[in-house]
Amino acid sequence: MNRIQNKILVLTGIVLFIMAAIWLTLTYYSRQTQEQYNDILQRYLRMNEVTGASQQTITDLNNYLIRPTPEHYEQLEQSKERLRRAKYDVFALRNGDNDFDLTSYTNLIDSLLETANRSMMFQAQMDTEDSNQAFNEATRISRSISDMTLTLLDTELKTYDRFYRGIIERSTELNKLGIWLLRTITFLLLIFAYWFALSITRPVQKLTQAAKELSRGRFDQEIEVSSNDEIAFLAKMFERMRVNINNLITEIQQKAQLEHELQQNKLLLQESRYRSLQSQIHPHFLFNTLDTLSKKAYLEGAEETSDLLASVAGLLRYNLRRLDRSVTLYEEVRVLRQYMDIQSARFADRLRFVEEIDESCLYVQIPGLTLQPIVENAVIHAVEPMEDGGTIVFRIAEDGDRIRVEIADNGPGMPEDKIERVLKGSAQETEGHTTGIGIGNVVQRLRLFYGQDDIIDIESKPRSGTKVVLRLPKVRRYEADDQRTDRG
Amino acid sequence: MRKTIVVLLAAICAVLIWFTSASAYKVFRADWRLPQTPLQESAEYRLVLITQELETPFWDKVGAGAREEAAKHGAMLEIWGSYNNDADEFLKKLEIAIHSRMDGIIVQGLDTDAFKELVKYKAASYGIPVITVANDVPDSLRRTYVGSDQFEAGRTIARQLAADMGQEGTVILLRDNGNAYYQEQRLDGIRSILEAYPGIELQYAETQGSREQVIAAMQDLMNHSPDVQAFIAANANLTAAMVQEIGRRSRVKPYHIYSFDDSPDTLTLLREGLIDGIIEQSPEEMGRISTALMIDWLEGRQIPLKTSGYHTEIRLRKAEDAP
Repeated sequence: MNRIQNKILVLTGIVLFIMAAIWLTLTYYSRQTQEQYNDILQRYLRMNEVTGASQQTITDLNNYLIRPTPEHYEQLEQSKERLRRAKYDVFALRNGDNDFDLTSYTNLIDSLLETANRSMMFQAQMDTEDSNQAFNEATRISRSISDMTLTLLDTELKTYDRFYRGIIERSTELNKLGIWLLRTITFLLLIFAYWFALSITRPVQKLTQAAKELSRGRFDQEIEVSSNDEIAFLAKMFERMRVNINNLITEIQQKAQLEHELQQNKLLLQESRYRSLQSQIHPHFLFNTLDTLSKKAYLEGAEETSDLLASVAGLLRYNLRRLDRSVTLYEEVRVLRQYMDIQSARFADRLRFVEEIDESCLYVQIPGLTLQPIVENAVIHAVEPMEDGGTIVFRIAEDGDRIRVEIADNGPGMPEDKIERVLKGSAQETEGHTTGIGIGNVVQRLRLFYGQDDIIDIESKPRSGTKVVLRLPKVRRYEADDQRTDRG
Repeated sequence: MRKTIVVLLAAICAVLIWFTSASAYKVFRADWRLPQTPLQESAEYRLVLITQELETPFWDKVGAGAREEAAKHGAMLEIWGSYNNDADEFLKKLEIAIHSRMDGIIVQGLDTDAFKELVKYKAASYGIPVITVANDVPDSLRRTYVGSDQFEAGRTIARQLAADMGQEGTVILLRDNGNAYYQEQRLDGIRSILEAYPGIELQYAETQGSREQVIAAMQDLMNHSPDVQAFIAANANLTAAMVQEIGRRSRVKPYHIYSFDDSPDTLTLLREGLIDGIIEQSPEEMGRISTALMIDWLEGRQIPLKTSGYHTEIRLRKAEDAP
């Protein structure tokens, strides 16, 4: 991971490196220049030194000749030594251009030294005249040396003229280089610093944006930061947090929905219980009365009436006891037949009831009192109002992993909006229902029972009848639901 | 947009770096050491040619010849000297040359005591060989002389004079009072021819070198001998003043006027037809031969050198030949 600290260190390092490089180069350059100047100056100084030394020698020689004290002798020897050293120094300056002059020059110095020695020798021998002559000669040689120095300096200037000019040009060029260097480095550093700052602030900006989105409650947008520093790490953590929060919220929502469904289920149960309680007045009295009536009718030879009464009693018993638990489809079909017996007695030939039942499908679990209200509904709307009655077709058949239950009539059909209302479960009409349970109640109970929405469907065309189709799963989704319903 | 900016920045960057590196190259390319002109290892001998008349056509030619020869043998040769016959400066240079311990000195002879002393004692004491060139000083113990045979030059002039003027007439010989050896030689040469012509009368005029003195001497002479027919200047330096003085008195053309040395003055006069003939010498040859002899001597190939000297070619140049 490339940390921000590292980035800053690298930037600082680069700047430092550039500065150090420039500093080193310039130092090296100025050292070289200085050495060069020293070399040049040295040449001139050495040549000048010869003139000075030779003149000093002459002065000291003069002093010695006038007053030959040991002190003066010492001085003279010193200046001669100085001249000799100057000679060696200057001899090192030989090159192709001044070879001739320089050789003459050094020879002149030798001659001067020799002449001076000669003068001293004559002085020692008390030969004043010869001594003076030698001194004069030495003076002339010294003057020649001075002249020759000038000539040599002149030659020097001519030889190195271009070189000196080169030095001047170079120093001008150095100024230019400084300016260009300043521009280049400024430019590069600006770009680099910009790029560097961007590499830090861009991820931060992205992160800020993401945080803003989260604070607005939008948890579904992925946070992506494509850098490789702490910010990216932060962004990754943030992203994980977002995903967690998102999952939690989804879970909570699901739970809330379940809770809601449960609540509704309970409400429906309470409602139906209430209704059943309403119609439960003296049930034993009613059953006993109906039984008595049935037996009485049987004894009096009215067997048909006796059966009808028995059906009514069975229907009532079923209605009161089985509402809050699941039953098999078989039981439902049995109750439905009892109900149809009663209705047949009532409508005679106006009601035609057709059954097509696959007996092998009757084992499935189903909420109690589901089929009876639907059929009753068909009777109320398709048979009762019709003068010449109607036909109700009841079919049970296997359909893949479901059982298909159809209740069709040939009545006037249902309007679209009513179908919709019924399927939404908002239709609460209960008029005319024996059990007090409307079709809306059935729809909702079915959905709650199976936990699926596509259990019931209603097909209807005006004037050609209504067909209610139940598609019951062979296996229930929530087995737990059943038990809860049992306990409740 | 973003691409344009990137390209632009890259371009600016490239330009800046280009200029910076070009500038840096200029700055750091330079050689830090002083340029060294290589020493000529083969240059064994340091020779010097000293003259009293620097930058005259004659001595320029001598110098050119000497340089050529020196270069051929790989010796170093410098030309020193004084301007306009400045004897003091000339002697000073000679002394410097001796003190500088040159390997050999080729010098224009100067017939003075100071010169002789320098060559005889000082040069000898430093062991430096001296060759005189153009002008000889035989009693200075120089190794040898390279230049014109002045005696022969005098004879040539005299012969021409006799041919031009005829058997009779008065001739004025103008000489300076320096008694220089070469002047004496010339006069001896003239005399040796004209002795054979009893009809020719020789008159000597002696003068100091300066222009006024030459003019005064000429006036004096021409007053004394109005029938003079010919003039000979034994020294080229006198010629111009002499011709000028003659020209002031009468027409110059009828006189026979002769001179030695082809100095610029005399050459101009010759071209104008004012003088009738001069002796032309071979300066380049003098330079060449003297240098060659010096090197030979130094290398020990030619010992001893001829004391009488090595004579170079002389020609008489007449006014008719002048371009």
